[in-house]
Order: sequence, then C-alpha cells, then structure tokens
Amino acid sequence: MDFCGPFSIELLQKALLYLIAATVGAFLWAPLLTRFLYKYNLTRRSDYDFTLRDGERSKKVGTPIMGGLLVIITVTVITLLFNWERKYTYVPMGVMGIAALLGAADDVLNIFGKKRRDRRISQQINLIKVHKLWRTKLWYAFTLPWTIFRRLVSCFGSHPGRGIQVHEKLSLQFLAGAVTAWWIYFKLSPYWHSLRVPFDGQFNVGWWIIPIVILFVMFTANAVNIADGLDGLAGGSLIVTFAGLTLISWAEGRPAFTLLNATVFGALIAYTYFNVKPARFQMGDVGSLGLGALLAINTVAINHTLLIPILGFIFYVEAVTVVLQVLARRIFGRRLFKMSPLHHHFEFLGWNEEKIVMRFWLIHGFAVIVAVWLALH
Amino acid sequence: MLSPKAEQLIHDYFHLPFPGVTGVRCPYFNNVRSHRRAQLRALIGKGLPQEIVDEAKIVSIQYGAGVFDHQGHCCLCDEHASECPGSITIRHFLIDHNLGVDCSGFINHVLRAHFKETKGIDLAKKFVANIDASWPRKLIMRLRPIENLGVRSALANDKNTEKIGDEKTGYDFSKIRPADLVIMLETGPQNKRSHVLLITDCDGQTIKYVHSRAWSGEGQYGHGVNGGEIRITKPSGGLLEQEWEEKIPPQQENLFDIGVLPQNETLLEAKQAKILEIRRVKI
Repeated sequence: MDFCGPFSIELLQKALLYLIAATVGAFLWAPLLTRFLYKYNLTRRSDYDFTLRDGERSKKVGTPIMGGLLVIITVTVITLLFNWERKYTYVPMGVMGIAALLGAADDVLNIFGKKRRDRRISQQINLIKVHKLWRTKLWYAFTLPWTIFRRLVSCFGSHPGRGIQVHEKLSLQFLAGAVTAWWIYFKLSPYWHSLRVPFDGQFNVGWWIIPIVILFVMFTANAVNIADGLDGLAGGSLIVTFAGLTLISWAEGRPAFTLLNATVFGALIAYTYFNVKPARFQMGDVGSLGLGALLAINTVAINHTLLIPILGFIFYVEAVTVVLQVLARRIFGRRLFKMSPLHHHFEFLGWNEEKIVMRFWLIHGFAVIVAVWLALH
Repeated sequence: MLSPKAEQLIHDYFHLPFPGVTGVRCPYFNNVRSHRRAQLRALIGKGLPQEIVDEAKIVSIQYGAGVFDHQGHCCLCDEHASECPGSITIRHFLIDHNLGVDCSGFINHVLRAHFKETKGIDLAKKFVANIDASWPRKLIMRLRPIENLGVRSALANDKNTEKIGDEKTGYDFSKIRPADLVIMLETGPQNKRSHVLLITDCDGQTIKYVHSRAWSGEGQYGHGVNGGEIRITKPSGGLLEQEWEEKIPPQQENLFDIGVLPQNETLLEAKQAKILEIRRVKI
C-alpha cells in the first residue's frame, strides 16, 4: 500500500491501533529495562558529567540512562513484525539503528570507558619532524588532516573525552545522513529531488538534495541530543513532534509513515511517563540520537524537509543556542547565555526544572501546530 | 583626573561588584602560563569587573562550589550581619579558578573608558590598527582587541604612544598628566616580562598610579590590582631616584608588619627593567 486516500478513516484506525500497541507494549517491558539498567549500573555519574555537581541536579546521580532503548526497541520490533516495507520503512529503521548504536556506544563508554589521549596539532607536527622511523613519520603525516579535523571540532564538545569524541560522532552521523541521502536520491522517485515549499508547491534542487538531507539528519540528531538535558523535555517534545508527523502523513495518505510515526508516538508516551521528574530513567544518547535521526528522515520521506526546524522547533532552538554560545565565546570572548543549551541558561536564572519543561513543551506544541498548518498548504 | 567612567571602572576593579559583598579586590591573573586560547576574556586575564563577577557566579554554580546561588547572591553572607564575611573566601575562589586581570588588560580597559568618554574614540580599535601583524591575526585582533593588546605590542608602540621621558633623557614631572603610562620593558629577574602602571593623578609633587601586579612575596592569594604613589623628591633625577610607595592592600597589613613584604617590588621591577619610560597616548 504505497499511497491511500488522504484522511482515510481506515488508515487512522490502523494508526491508532499501532499507537495503542506501542504504548501498551512499552509499558509492559519498561520494568524489565529498568532492572537491566540498574543491574549493569548504566547510571549517571558525576565524575564525567559536571552538570550534576550543582545542588539540585546532584539528585540525578544514579538515575539510569539509556532509557531511550524503550522507544527504539519497541518501535523496531513492531515495525519489523507489522510494518516492514522494503521501499519505505527499511531505510528509516536502518538509519535510526545506526544513530542509536552510535548513541549506545557513547553512553556505555561515558560510564565504563577510559579517558582518551588527545594529541595536539603542534605535537603531531613535531613528531613528523623528529621521529626517527620514516614509516611512523609517514603515518603521522597521513593522519595529520584527521588530527586537524578532530582538534577543530573538539571546541564544540563539552565532554572530557571518555565517550565517543565529537569528530567520531560527526563522522558516523555523516554516514547516517549519507545513507538517507542515497535512499532519497537514488531509490525513491524524482519527486523527492525537489523540496516542497508551503504555499508555493515544489522547488527542484536536483542533486543538492543530498547535502541538504545529510545536513538535516546530522543537525536534527544532535539537536535532540542537546535538548535531552531536563527530565521530560526531550520525551514530551518528541511526542508532540511525532503526533504532528503522524497527522501530516495521515492527511497526505502515506500509510507506511503514518503507522511508523504512530508507533513512535505511542512508545514515547510510555517513555515520557517514566521520564517526568523525578525520572525513573533518562533517554541517553541511544534514544536522542536515534529518534533525532528518525525525526529528520521521516520528515524528509514525506517531503516536508523545510519544515524540520519548525517540527523540531525546541530542539533547533537549543542547538542554535549552543552554536551561538560557542561562536560568541571563541570569536568575541564573551558569553551570549549564562550557559548553553538554553534550558541551562534558564536554570541559572533560577527557573525550576518543571517550569522550564512545561514552558518549552507549550512553545514547542505551538510550533508543531504551525508546522502542521503549513504542511497542509 | 581621569574621566568619571574610568574612575568608576578602577573603583570596580578594587571593589568587584558582587551584590551584597564589599571589599573583593580583583586578583592578578596572567594567561602566559595556562596558555588558554580563544577563551572567554574573563578567563584569560582580560575581563571587565562585571564579566569577572558573572563568570565567578557561573563557575560556582556549575561546579557546585557553594559560593553563589542561582540568583547570584553570595551563599556565605549572613543576613543579620551588615557586611558579608565571605570576601576573603570569594577572593580565594577567584584565584583558584584563574579569574583576574593582568596589567595590560586592566590598563587597556581603563584607558578605553577614559578616551571614549573624553575624546569619543575607541582606543582599543585604534591601537589594534597600528600593530603590524599578518591578516588572520589582524582579523582576530579586530574581533578581540583588548585580548591582543600587550604592553610591548600596543602600549610601548611608537605608533600608539609617544615617549615623554626616560631614565637617560630625564623627565619633566610638571608635564605628566593622568592617563600617562609608566612602561617597564624587559623586567623581572630574567628580563623577560613587561609591566605597565597607569598614572591617575600628578600635581608635580606626587605621581599617583594604579596597576595589576603579583609580587613574589605576597604568595598565592595576596596579588591583585593595587595603587601607589611616587613622591618627587629629586625633580632633576630619574624615576628610580624618587620615593616609591605602594599602598598596602586591605588584609595584608600583617604581611608588612611581620616583614614578609620587606621591599616594594614595583620599584624593584622598575629597577630591573632594561627600558623604563613614561609614555602618553597619541590621539
């Protein structure tokens, strides 16, 4: 069933069934996941996460992370069993899997990994000059561009170097974005070589769709990851976003994506139930990177790429504040915000966590309504 | 006299504007050893008083140090006491977290405020334009002028300042004005440092100055912005022949009493300098 009529009642009934199944399924196995996370001590520690050293936030020490597995696994199982279409759901699930694996590795290494050495560019150049073995010299010369890339992007990272480093994360996310772009450009019809502009129809961008898609997938995955800093913030906002996506894909009569988005929507309800303050578990990179990538690819797949920043409004705002803060810090030597991302800025201003989360949900909900309205034009 | 805004800025460095806390003198911090690059200017010894205060609050909250709360108030203050007893703790906290100002950072900020108010010019940008550098460095200098103005490169640069007198040619002390600079180049025990004093007042008899310094005798927590005066006792002599007196910072009287600080290290630094001169900003 590639397409069915828009606003199909039959499709809506099926989507609601998937939603209910995902919610109930996730609720049923959530205790098992919690037990697993506690058993293997996959919990937040203050030794690598400096944000936990502040008085109020220190209560989060010991909370299990990788709670995002609840959504990732529930969605994967339901989709594999009941919504597996090689043409449509195959690649979104694959990309979500790549991103989630990357996030899982980061989560685990942050807890159990060892601090890694970070060689400076000048050190490597010195080694090229002074090393007595020509093979080693050649190796250092060959890997110098990689070192330069690593050092340049390291200014965007805040972790002290136990988990996956920024340059590795970006490279793997680029891979996830490239897989999506390959699928969009080569496997789907030429209809997907154009961007849909609200009120204006289609705008053909040809092969430019490839870098555009890669950029959106990478940025959105990181944006959701950045926003996952307060209990309930990322989960609640993602519920609204996937509800919007379900609505848009149903309105346009795209069954595979309607069912996939409804499944994510349902699993997120169960996840957020356990994630509101005080959280039973937190999403972790496994969930935030995976769901961020899925958000981007599902929006691209229903040809509403330009609406991603509005559908993921709060995630984009959070990510942009991080970028602006880093730029202001490095270029002008001043802070733009007391701390980035934006939710930490409000925490510094004395807002409590619940107030920030509720207000961000409301703002995000309004943005998603605007996005749905734009998508229907 | 310096302009009111420049005077206020000096006052703020001597009494950092922490709400409800008085008497926190800005410590000295020089980035040469820590060699932080592309950092916040408050963290490399080039910050304004308010930037240093804001950064101290953020660092305290971020690392759970318990010195300031989320509203920015000092956690050490007793609401029943008229003055907060935590000023020494806060100063130690600033020093432990590399928050402070170096000599050129302090003086460049004060000069910038003075000339902006009196002449309407941005001195930092003017100084930067006169420094020879490659174009990428020039671009960085334009974006972050204060951070790139050193004693030798900017304040002792003939394009930015003119010499009023030195130890060889002598000085006409009656012509010295506020906002003139006492420059010491190639000073210190190994003649590797530079230092600068900002003249705040001169009546022909006494030269008053301020600077940011770290004397070796003051230990880990004694340094910071400070003032002093040079009494002209031999008008025909050089600066080194006059009487130098450094103000004793609050909480350090005992160091002088017990002889920990037996000598004026500012004068010692002036003596060690290969080049000692008074210069005036060219407008």
